[in-house]
Amino acid sequence: MKRISLLFLCLFLMMAWLSGCATFETEKKAVPYRLTAQGTVIWEDEFEFLPPPPDWKLLRVETGENDINFGFVRPDPGAFPSLTTFAYDEEPFGCSTRFEDREKEFFKRFLFNAIFHFQILEKKKVQVVGGEGLAVTVEGKDPVKKEKVRGKVIFAKRGDRVVGFYITQWRPIDGTYDPAAFDIFDKFVSSFKFLKKSFYETL
Amino acid sequence: MEGHQRNLYLYERFNARVLGVSRDDVITLKYWAKGLDLTFPLLSNVTSFLGVSANAQPDGRPIFSRRTMIIDKAGIIRYVRDGSPDFKDILLFLKKLNQEGGKP
Repeated sequence: MKRISLLFLCLFLMMAWLSGCATFETEKKAVPYRLTAQGTVIWEDEFEFLPPPPDWKLLRVETGENDINFGFVRPDPGAFPSLTTFAYDEEPFGCSTRFEDREKEFFKRFLFNAIFHFQILEKKKVQVVGGEGLAVTVEGKDPVKKEKVRGKVIFAKRGDRVVGFYITQWRPIDGTYDPAAFDIFDKFVSSFKFLKKSFYETL
Repeated sequence: MEGHQRNLYLYERFNARVLGVSRDDVITLKYWAKGLDLTFPLLSNVTSFLGVSANAQPDGRPIFSRRTMIIDKAGIIRYVRDGSPDFKDILLFLKKLNQEGGKP
């Protein structure tokens, strides 16, 4: 008979949305990455990737539930909210390990503060970090705030778990998207490698 | 909470079960769990006695503090942390506790 509960993990919940806030790196501390002769970045001896051009600023979150691990941000020319951000996320929203289910869970909460209903522009299987992944391109529009955002999310596998890469590009409602930023993101993702097993794979 | 849901297979591996306790009513918790696709039990404790006994009930406030506790098979509280859960710390602790429990 299967061994049953030995330990209980009790959680006392504060039922409030504790939204994670990404922050610009401002404190002076040892940088968690190094550059290689090939022009790639080795991040905390765990990931290797091709960085974006220097006009992209590093974006990093130290800890917290459902926060991005690290990414890059670039203010774009044009009126507010012209901005492009892309990131690698070790724990994207949702729980499922099947991409199709995870996608549905993810988009329940992706940019939830903006309260967008996303239109899926494209969904396709891709090869990413040495395995199969799912790439979903979406667009959301807010006619009241007169803003729009185009996003691309790529779900991949690291061991048993799903990880994510995503880019968001914000524009005024009549603004024009910059496809070059999406190309930089695609190069970042296609160059991305795991240099060692994740914490969860070592348990 | 999604973090705990993602880790259920690891909690299973370490012979642990997870449950949440909240002062919200059953209906609220039901929809909240549905929204986050949670499958582990959530206990509704509107009278707050569980939170009081766990010292997770701030005076004069209608919600519990966010607290994570690990109780071993003998009913002894072995781990208490406030604030957002540190999942890696929790998993390492459960692994250690499970290994201890497996010894003769």
